[in-house]
Amino acid sequence: MPDLEQQLIALGKEVEWPPTPNIRIRAVVRVPWYQSRWALAAAAVVLALAALAVYTPTRTAIAGWVNVHVLFQRVPLLPTPSPRPFGPLGERLGLGQPTTLAEAQSLLTWRITVPSSLGQPDEVYLQLPPTGAAQGEVTLVYSKRPSTPIANQTGVAVLVTEARGAVNKDLFAKMLGGGTTIEPVTVAGHQGYWVAGSPHIFIFLDADGNFRDETMRLATNTLILDDGGTIVRIEGNVTKAQAVQIATSLG
Amino acid sequence: MEGRPEDDSDLFSRAKRGDKAAYEEIVQRYQQVAFRTAYMITSSAAEAEEAAQDGFVKAFRALNRFRAGANPRPWLLRIVANEARNRVRSVQRRHGLELRVAQGFRPGDAAPSPETAAVAAEDRTRLLRLVNGLSGEDRLVVTARYFLELSSEETAAALGIPEGTVKSRLSRALARLRSRYEEAPDA
Repeated sequence: MPDLEQQLIALGKEVEWPPTPNIRIRAVVRVPWYQSRWALAAAAVVLALAALAVYTPTRTAIAGWVNVHVLFQRVPLLPTPSPRPFGPLGERLGLGQPTTLAEAQSLLTWRITVPSSLGQPDEVYLQLPPTGAAQGEVTLVYSKRPSTPIANQTGVAVLVTEARGAVNKDLFAKMLGGGTTIEPVTVAGHQGYWVAGSPHIFIFLDADGNFRDETMRLATNTLILDDGGTIVRIEGNVTKAQAVQIATSLG
Repeated sequence: MEGRPEDDSDLFSRAKRGDKAAYEEIVQRYQQVAFRTAYMITSSAAEAEEAAQDGFVKAFRALNRFRAGANPRPWLLRIVANEARNRVRSVQRRHGLELRVAQGFRPGDAAPSPETAAVAAEDRTRLLRLVNGLSGEDRLVVTARYFLELSSEETAAALGIPEGTVKSRLSRALARLRSRYEEAPDA
């Protein structure tokens, strides 16, 4: 037969495609389906009700759904986040600007806590409003730690993010598929949740509670705690016991 | 420089600085290839339009993450194709793209004799039938490379596979096509 590739290219010019729609700039202000706050809010209620059925938590635990400032959504199938661009960790994960603990502390009105079980972080990032939470958010990066494998989702061993925002705004959103479990936990009197199993979707919210969808990514096991108004998020390929140990050592 | 279209990377630089007109131009330039890439994956014009729309929205919001100097086409196509795949998953649809040969002459074609035209049309229809009969993976890679004329890098981005896999999959698909073409000349 004649050159097959040439034939295919010629054939391609005669293939019938549906007419291309005129995609207008209005698209820029359209809200993608997964960002509908009404849908997420409704799903959060459903999830809370589901939690009632599965865990029969106490009234305090139900209140915890609100207190951890995280919008949870159960979905049958997780969307595929766009691949993270290459570059420094802070840029890839939307963590903010690289800084030091001392500098970050000087710019915040609340106290950053460091888990003594992990020691001093290898890197520190700071995200201030309006991009970050209303009172700012700090991420401590632990690149490598003994007995903690590097997580594919982050490229480091453990990430500890601490944030404070307005009492009526969420700081993070999470979408959980069927393979992800969530259970209420209490660490040193602080209410929180342990999210584990299959990776889930994690998204940072800005100071106004808007999704920062460029930060949407898959996340591994995570412990979230309300530490006296500071929301602490510990992510890594760790067991629940290890995560609780890290949280207990915050100080 | 009057009348010369602005370079893609310049447009992206302007769009990154918040210039919506520049992004509008990007959408105009890429909407056809984005829509067809999404259609190739969803097999539905309506869902391809939604995927392209949402893909352009996500790309706009992620512009500050776009690395200056990088080739924007694979980056954009990857985002749109991801949206398309999410839609396919959400409706649990099996891939069923069936392309057809457009009717009528292409603009600029010299008018062939009726016999030549009939033979050529038969050949094209037969080849397209063989492409449509390939497995989903093979059909996608052939459609992306030859019908959409995407580069290997763009095909890899659109299909969410490494570039090396594009090459091996394409080579396998061409071998199958060639063998089927020769085995069943009247198929």
